[in-house]
Amino acid sequence: MADNNNLLEGLVYNYTSATEPPTRDVRIEPTNAYLGSCHSLKRAMGQGCAKFNSRYFSQGNGCQLNLALGIVRSFQNVVIIIHGPLGCGSNNIGLAGFYKTARALKGKPANDVIWIHTNLDESDVINGGVVKLREAVLYAEREYRPDVVVVGNSCVPGIIGDDIDSALEELEPQVSAKLVPIHCEGFRSRFVASGYDAAYHGLLKKLADPPVRIESVLLGSSDEEERLEKIRRQNSRTVNLLNVGSTSRGDEVELSRILSSLGLTVNVLPLFGHIDEIAKMGEAGLNISICATHDDYLIGHLKERFGTPYVIDTLPIGIKNTNQWLRAIGEAMNLKEETEKLIELETSQLLESLEPFKATLAGKTLWVGGGETRIFTTAEFFQSLGMKVLGLKPHNFDRFAIPMLDDIEDPETAVAVAAGQPAEELVYLKRLKPDLYVGHGGANGWVLKLGIPTIPLYGQSQNYMGYSGAFELARKAARALLNTNLSKKISANVPLPFKQVWYDSNPQDNIKEGQQEEPVARSSVK
Amino acid sequence: MENSFIERAKSSCALGGAIATIAALPRAIPIVHASGGCAQTLSATYNLGSGYKGAGYCSGTMTPTSNITENNIVFGGEDRLEEQIEATLRVMDGDLYFVVTGCQVEIIGDNAASVTSRFQDRRPPVLYASTPGFLGDGFKGYEAVLSSLAKDFIERSAKKDKKTVNILGFMPGQDVFCRGNIQNLIFLLNKLGLQVNSFFGDGESIEKIKKYGQAAHTLVFSPIHGYQVAEAFQEVHDIPYLKVDLPIGDTGTESFLRQIAGPLQIPKAKLEAVIAEERALYYSYFQRFLEITGDLDYQRYAVVSSDITYAFPLTQYVSEDLGWIPHLVLVNEEPDNEEDSAQYRKKYESLTANVSPKLVFEANTGQLLRHVKESWPHNHNEKYYNQLSPLFIIASSLEGSAAQKLGANYLPVSYPVTNRAVLSKGYAGYRGGLNLAEDLYSSLVSNR
Repeated sequence: MADNNNLLEGLVYNYTSATEPPTRDVRIEPTNAYLGSCHSLKRAMGQGCAKFNSRYFSQGNGCQLNLALGIVRSFQNVVIIIHGPLGCGSNNIGLAGFYKTARALKGKPANDVIWIHTNLDESDVINGGVVKLREAVLYAEREYRPDVVVVGNSCVPGIIGDDIDSALEELEPQVSAKLVPIHCEGFRSRFVASGYDAAYHGLLKKLADPPVRIESVLLGSSDEEERLEKIRRQNSRTVNLLNVGSTSRGDEVELSRILSSLGLTVNVLPLFGHIDEIAKMGEAGLNISICATHDDYLIGHLKERFGTPYVIDTLPIGIKNTNQWLRAIGEAMNLKEETEKLIELETSQLLESLEPFKATLAGKTLWVGGGETRIFTTAEFFQSLGMKVLGLKPHNFDRFAIPMLDDIEDPETAVAVAAGQPAEELVYLKRLKPDLYVGHGGANGWVLKLGIPTIPLYGQSQNYMGYSGAFELARKAARALLNTNLSKKISANVPLPFKQVWYDSNPQDNIKEGQQEEPVARSSVK
Repeated sequence: MENSFIERAKSSCALGGAIATIAALPRAIPIVHASGGCAQTLSATYNLGSGYKGAGYCSGTMTPTSNITENNIVFGGEDRLEEQIEATLRVMDGDLYFVVTGCQVEIIGDNAASVTSRFQDRRPPVLYASTPGFLGDGFKGYEAVLSSLAKDFIERSAKKDKKTVNILGFMPGQDVFCRGNIQNLIFLLNKLGLQVNSFFGDGESIEKIKKYGQAAHTLVFSPIHGYQVAEAFQEVHDIPYLKVDLPIGDTGTESFLRQIAGPLQIPKAKLEAVIAEERALYYSYFQRFLEITGDLDYQRYAVVSSDITYAFPLTQYVSEDLGWIPHLVLVNEEPDNEEDSAQYRKKYESLTANVSPKLVFEANTGQLLRHVKESWPHNHNEKYYNQLSPLFIIASSLEGSAAQKLGANYLPVSYPVTNRAVLSKGYAGYRGGLNLAEDLYSSLVSNR
């Protein structure tokens, strides 16, 4: 049952009074610099030393502001203010159209993403930028009448010590929008997933309402007991399916279909939702995560404040993990028998449909790179189709994916933990030459230059999760192997920017092992 | 324009511009001294937003960066930078390495110039430019990087080649059609007997860039961008510069060619021959659209919302070449001082339509609808209402929704462009004018 779920064992979520939760560096202690095997990584995580690893040669590893923006950008009728120079979150430009399309795909109004930069300059670095922040909030209110204005704080105000919380509190009486500060300064965390926590912390602190107690509303009505029981029953069958940035409409439809067939009423939240829906997240009978890396703070916080039960287990990609995910929900909702029936039916239908693709995929080799829970579940699925997993590249690795290491058949399978930075992974890939690479955005282009065909790890218009997602994923991989001419042409003609000495080196030599940095007192940088 | 907040700014920061610029130099490797997210985020701004130009040889997730952490903010990041430069020289295969800086390290006072200078004897060379985001938009980084090249890398040469020009003002990424525009201009200038140094054009190399000091002229294709670099070429290499507009189509290109002919000493006969030949060719193609233009009344009211480099050339093209009604021009950036703004406004006096466009400096993307509404009498439910229609909006991909609300045809040209995919296309020159005609007309016929 959720309360005893060991993924969150020992974690606490009592940070409501703070402006921000501790970063993942402190709270979860992941690593983003480890090269070895599933076997050795498991040992290293047990010893707790990998979290201090860093690199001699490093490449871009991402900014937590971006992940925070990835969440809030999706909401309806929101204006985002980036308190910083013009560059922070300027990749909004590249993503605005993508989010507009995603809104349409999810049946929401296909409005533009609206963001404002406070445009901090040299004089603001000296004098502070709070005045511009006030002007930007008032502009947002006047021009767009948003339900909520979310302010993402960047490095510059974080270092010079702008007090955005007080500034926004002072503005609250002047505007009808709710004002939400998010502390997601890039330099504060080596782990971009801290941005999820920062965003959810800010949103839940400002927006979440205590669950309405049905009892108190209904007391005094004539057929009170009967109605009360009816609503209780209804409420207890309503679950929140917590989506993430990479869940497509297809994924949401499929997972909702599965849960509905257990008799559950499903709200898909919080991404692309409205703040009124988010405010009521605590009321559900169950919060269901599909990605522990994404959601632990969200559900932990809701449980801590409102007592909302949750399921946080695996990511429902492939047969084994979809079934495991479903069993956890069945157990939490006391639907074990129904769940087993459903699993039996769905699995048998799916297995039959996968047979034609197995013929193409069996014996082929594979490498998967991206978010930790997603890549291990994706790899496990392809393994179940007879493919050999040569390696995995998680962006970071922590307690949420440790149980998944055992799902990879060969414990000596390579694992190269690196956030974004592709240099080490590309050495592995050049040596191992997998037949297929399944990769995160930003990675596939480099891999094509090595001559390895790729498919994306996720996609807004494709289904990856649940039973139909498994079918689609197998279908996609088999199709990719029908014609691999593009990767061949590219590798013959377009170079990667590495010296031969790098390809000849041992990538493990690039890892600085276990060098603990001096702990920094938060007050010293403000 | 006072330095206020900006709604949906169509740019990135100085560091973003620097990375995009270095990434477009032949086989150059950026080394970003900043927090871990800057390199990747800022690359994505242009790699996605500029017609999907991608990360190229070495940007995006590939960008070497010191990834400084909270610890470095307190104790300084210079050692980390030195380690990262050393490691990058070992791992990455480049002809030039370029250290650029982000806000965090500039605020805490890291001396990245001094760290970089420890590598001054290395070959390939390691250069440096200070590019914290708070300096301003992407062009600040473009200027800083190319100015460093002009001052610290390009060899001084007393001997000048009269027939060689350096061209500036095209920032890779910020100009979505940068490569295509450069190639179109090279084609045109070659016809006049000139050789062109472009930093980013086809066939360039770091070795060739080293010799740019031999050029006799610099042409800057923007009303306000590229002048720091042009000044550096003037001061360090004694190369004078000339301010020109991005030439698009017949009118713009002829005017450009006549403007440069004197300073660049193009023989009159050659000038006239090139204009005549290119113009004849231009109209031999353009005349293919005459039937559809006439039969379907393809004259449009035009609203342009773009960066300052494209605003006038696009307006001039639709007004002078296509005979459209230039109605409203929103220029998304403004010259630094009143004098330059006034000079910029004067350009529009050369337009010969019987109506002059309203010109507004407006950085906030969401203000387009308001300006359009204010530019035209409201509909008070009159029986006969003279509507602002048929309307065509030439802007960026951020104006798609506004065009839809206004019932206008629409073509994104100015950055960002995320609803088109761009490789080699350019709008500069006579041939670029044909490309623009194709794309404008394609929008008009796209529902057929």
